[in-house]
Order: sequence, then structure tokens, then C-alpha cells
Amino acid sequence: MSKDVLVIGGGIAGIQASLDLAEMGIHVYLVESLPSIGGKMAQLDKTFPTNDCAI
Amino acid sequence: MLDVGRHPDIDLMAYSEVEKVEGESGAFKATIRRKARYVEEDRCTGCGACKEKCPTVLPDAFNMGLGTRKAIYSWFAQGIPSTHTIDPAHCRQLNGKKCGICQKVCQANAVNFDQKDRIVELDVGAIVVASGYKVFDPSQIPEYQYRQIPNVITAIEFERLLSASGPTAGHLHRPSDLLVEAEMEALEKDVKKSEKALDKFEQKYGQASAAFYDAYQKGAYEGDEDRGKWAEKYVAHLALVEPLDALKREAEGFDVAKRLAFVQCVGSRDFRFYPFCSGYCCMHSIKEAIIANEHERETTSVIFGMDIRAVGKGFEEYKIRGGNQSGITYVRGRVAEITEGPQRNPVVTYEDTRERKVISRDFDLVILATACAPSEGVERLAEILGIERNRFGFFKTGTSQSLDTTRPGIFACGCAHGPMDIPESVAQASGAAARAAQIVTAASMRKAS
Repeated sequence: MSKDVLVIGGGIAGIQASLDLAEMGIHVYLVESLPSIGGKMAQLDKTFPTNDCAI
Repeated sequence: MLDVGRHPDIDLMAYSEVEKVEGESGAFKATIRRKARYVEEDRCTGCGACKEKCPTVLPDAFNMGLGTRKAIYSWFAQGIPSTHTIDPAHCRQLNGKKCGICQKVCQANAVNFDQKDRIVELDVGAIVVASGYKVFDPSQIPEYQYRQIPNVITAIEFERLLSASGPTAGHLHRPSDLLVEAEMEALEKDVKKSEKALDKFEQKYGQASAAFYDAYQKGAYEGDEDRGKWAEKYVAHLALVEPLDALKREAEGFDVAKRLAFVQCVGSRDFRFYPFCSGYCCMHSIKEAIIANEHERETTSVIFGMDIRAVGKGFEEYKIRGGNQSGITYVRGRVAEITEGPQRNPVVTYEDTRERKVISRDFDLVILATACAPSEGVERLAEILGIERNRFGFFKTGTSQSLDTTRPGIFACGCAHGPMDIPESVAQASGAAARAAQIVTAASMRKAS
């Protein structure tokens, strides 16, 4: 039995899941195939409907 | 992103791929391949001295090919981790040529051409799949001529043009203009080279090239081999200067794009491709039109769609505000065809179903609101994880437990199992985290008792 969780994908969903798990005190391995995390959201300039900066 | 990099309970493995998953819920064994970056992660400070000196220039995938990057690169400026990576397919040194400049300039001594892939084995109780989506490739739709007409681009390409950190620093330069500018730059380089060569002759003979060539043509230097070469160089020089001047004249008329058209449902709600509604594209187009208008107040946008689906907190108000304050017109109708008119302006042909008229209109730039498609490599990942996919290729999830995949202990969230926008992805991610936590905390509690 293991207490750790593997998250596959470092886009906004993977980042949120990892942070939530880590905040619960669970150890997370976050695997991303690209050189940096951020996913599609990092490519966005602003987000709707608040026009907040995506990064 | 920064929080992920800093959190003591998160082991970030970027530039890595899952190769094998064995075991069962509560006790999975996952094999991860940590791909060689050829840069030591613990040494690289992300200063970027290496990429400044790297001689290999490539299209930048993060900017959707609109800008350039080097063979040693960071995925994007604020990326976490900030470690640079060498592209093994294009690096001169790794392909047997003499180079190694990055290694010489790296003060942290982080470049390591001998680095190899590493295999890591992890014991985990649960798995969350958040592998995202791929932007639908609109070149599959012949009538929109994406890739044939440079000023027809996708929403994500437009996003990079709008971004202050993008290839145009947020100015809406048209891709056709960018092509001309790139051509001019290449020609200018050649002109400089040929000017240098001419300069040598001019100094040697103490005469300007133009005056010399006049005399040469009149037969003044017959039989002089060296001056013959000079004349040849001068002719080649003129052959460079003339097209450059023509391009410069063309570039004088360039302006930023101010009349935009957004074409909705490109690949989605289309029975040839994906019959589903991708959900976020209507709002995405409205947002892009609002931001473009913020950049340049004269910008007007027309959004062509069957209907505008503004379902979400504050979405309908956002749509109305766009129409009232940001120069957006909503036209009910599907675009039939895009062609190219004078000044490289794309011409959109559509039926306005409210007016009951077929109309052709030209714009500065056309943006295609592309569908959400299953991500690259999704078949292989499904095989590795031993989970099923639905008929569109996304990971299959339950109807009552909507984040559970077909294998116990593996959960999906975000666009990995269907199209959705950012707020929904975030909410689902928290849900998937809770589902995964149930397994590992129950397991640890049993262990403790």
C-alpha cells in the first residue's frame, strides 16, 4: 500500500489536483512531458470572464 | 505554477513520461522515463546565456511557430522549472557537428552532453490523469484554407499574438506581414555581406562600385580578371537590393489588424469531425475580441456562429458587454468559405440567417475557434494505464462517478476526458484530488491500525 499519488499532466487541472493533494498532506509526483508545467493555460494571454492574467 | 515548484510535498518531474503502470488501486507501481535534457536540473539557474549564443534557430512551439527559439531553450520565460533543455533533434553537438558553445558560456557548468534518460520507479496508491487536449487541426477543413492563407489563424495562435510575452509583444501584426518582415531580415543580412565584399574592391581601387560598373560596362577594363569579379559581385548585389527595396515599399503600408472575424465551431458541432460542442470556444472568441479592442480601441470584431453559448457564471453579461463596449457584432450563420482578396485580406463568405442573405466580406485577420480534440499520444497512455477511451478518443469516465476511469484507483479531470473550460477543469481537479485522497488515506489508515 502506498500513500502517494501520481498526477499525469502539468496543465491547470494537474497543477490544481497536485496542490490540493499536497495541501492535504499527501505526497504527489507530478509528471509532465514538456520541459515546463503550465499547459495550454500558460499559452493564454488573459482568461474569461474576468480578463485575469493566465500566468 | 510557482507553488508547485516550491511545495515540499510535490515532486515535480517535468520533461518525463509514464512508461508502465502495474498493480492495483492502493498499490500501483509506475515506471517514469525522465528524458535527458542535457542540462543538469540542479545546476541550471535559468539565466539564458546559453540560448543567446546558440547558433541554431528553430520555430518556437510554445508560440505556435509564430516566433523562434534556439536548440537550447526554455519552454517559456516564466516556466517552472526554469531549467533549460537541449532539443536533441536539432542540437549541432548532439548530431555530431562541432559546436558546444552553450557548454562554454554556461557559468553554472550545467550543460552535460553525456546525460542519459533515467528510469524511475514510483509506488503510488492512486493516479490522477490530467493529460489535457490538443487543438483541432483546421487544415482538415479545405474550405477555410488554414495554412494556405497566412491571415487565417487559430484561436491559440491569436492568443500568442495578443500576449505581451509573445512573438509580437502584444501588437496585432498580421502573419502575412511577419512573413514579409522575416524575408526582409534575411535579405538585409545578405545585402550586408555583399556590401562588405564590394567595400574591399572599392578600397582597393579607390572608386565607388556604381561608377566603376558604368565604366566597366563601356568596356573600360576588358581582360581585367579581378575587376570582372567586382562587376559580378555588383550585379549580384543589385539583384538583392531591388527585391529588398520592393519589400520595404510594401512594408510601409503595413498596419496592425483592426477588422477581425471569428469563425465558431471549427471542427466541433461538425459531423465530419466532432459532433460535440467544445463549450469554451464562444467565450474564448469573445474574450479575444475584447482584449484586441483593449489593445487598439478602433478594433472591431464580427463573431460568426450558429448561436453563442455563454453558459457560466458571468458569461452572458460578458458577452453583452463585449457587444456594447468592445466593438463586437454577433452574426448568426456558419461561414461557408474563406478566400484571399487584395492586400492579403481574407474574405469570409457566409449566410446571415437573420437577414437571409449570402454575403462576402473582407477582414484583416480571421481567427478560427478550433475544437477540443484528444491529446497527442492519448492511445498509448490509455494502453499504459489500462483504461478505456470513449468514442471521440477521450478517456472514458463514469456517468454517476464522473471522474472515475474504467480502472479503479485511476481518476481523470480536465480536458483529458472531454472538452471543458478552465473553471470546470479546476473544480474537477479538486474533485479528482479528493477521490484519489480517499484511496490513499483509507489505505494509510488501515496500515496504521
